[in-house]
Amino acid sequence: MKEDYVLQALAALAENDRQKEAQPEVEARLLGAFHARHLRRVRRQRRWVGITTLAAGLLIGLLLWPNRTPKPAVSAVQPVLLVREAGRPAPAAMTVTSVTRAPRKAARKIAIAPQADEVVTDFFPLMNPAPSFGRGQMLRVQLPAAAMQTVGLPVSEEHLGDLVQADVLVGEEGMPRAIRFVRFDVK
Amino acid sequence: MTSDEELLAAALHRDEAAFTALYRRRQGAVYRFALHMSGDAAVSEDVTQEVFLALLESGSRFDPARGTLLSFLYGIARNLLLRRLEKQRPVDSDTLTEELAADDDVLDELTRRETIEAVRSAVLSLPAPYREAVVLCDLENASYEDAAAALECPVGTVRSRLSRGRAMLGQKLAVKTVRSMS
Repeated sequence: MKEDYVLQALAALAENDRQKEAQPEVEARLLGAFHARHLRRVRRQRRWVGITTLAAGLLIGLLLWPNRTPKPAVSAVQPVLLVREAGRPAPAAMTVTSVTRAPRKAARKIAIAPQADEVVTDFFPLMNPAPSFGRGQMLRVQLPAAAMQTVGLPVSEEHLGDLVQADVLVGEEGMPRAIRFVRFDVK
Repeated sequence: MTSDEELLAAALHRDEAAFTALYRRRQGAVYRFALHMSGDAAVSEDVTQEVFLALLESGSRFDPARGTLLSFLYGIARNLLLRRLEKQRPVDSDTLTEELAADDDVLDELTRRETIEAVRSAVLSLPAPYREAVVLCDLENASYEDAAAALECPVGTVRSRLSRGRAMLGQKLAVKTVRSMS
């Protein structure tokens, strides 16, 4: 019987408070927070795009920096031996699909002699782990031969400063994904 | 009518109208739960606001398999309230019981308003585990399942806490009749 009284008392309290709710100011503050959160997310995304672009620019800049150092013209066309060092495992090559070659009009890109055949290495990944690759561009650049060492290819000491040609695969987000080295077999 | 879950999904995808609709649909229940648990309107508004902010931040963690969205909101509110209540001095339930039990005819003498406030005080004086069960099931008409999801305990525990909470309220109120409230 006592519980009936309690239930009636509680029902009366519930009925009395049924219409009680938060003041409209709470809704206004929440909507303000909703918009602020949206803006924060947009700014965060923009910041990441900026950071990624900057990082990509720095990486490419680092790769291309030696190209600005004057070198004897003869070293730029010296073919480099592309033989893997015995007993040293080569890094895993990267499978590349859906690549569009950039138009070769920039000063940095090397005009290929029509009478020469290209001999290229496998692609070596520059990002590990690399995000999935959809589309991108391939840039032909000149690099010091020392760059070949960074991917595990052997280069003799006297040729470390020589310039070699390479294809850098750049993802559509601007990050360099992979590199391969090129030499020309003159017919 | 669009379900709570659909509104939440849209709100998390920056749909302001969906968020507003969800807030308007559920804020009253959250506010009243906080009010009956804390007895403080300002605290209840703060908690209501924090609950929906938390929903924006971590609404993707809501799992419909574990309960309704309302029980999820009650659960967030409960955690926020418990943190606040831990810092507050508990209501002296013994004093309240003595005052109300001193005269069996006390409710007859009270106006309806006074009676409701007495019931409110009695509810507030319950230990938190019993208060939660009473507020959810008896004041907000939540199902045992929803209450269990909000309180993160089995349904059987909700039932036993509810039974014990009602018994404690009966002792506190010490009434013979609630005619004045009808």
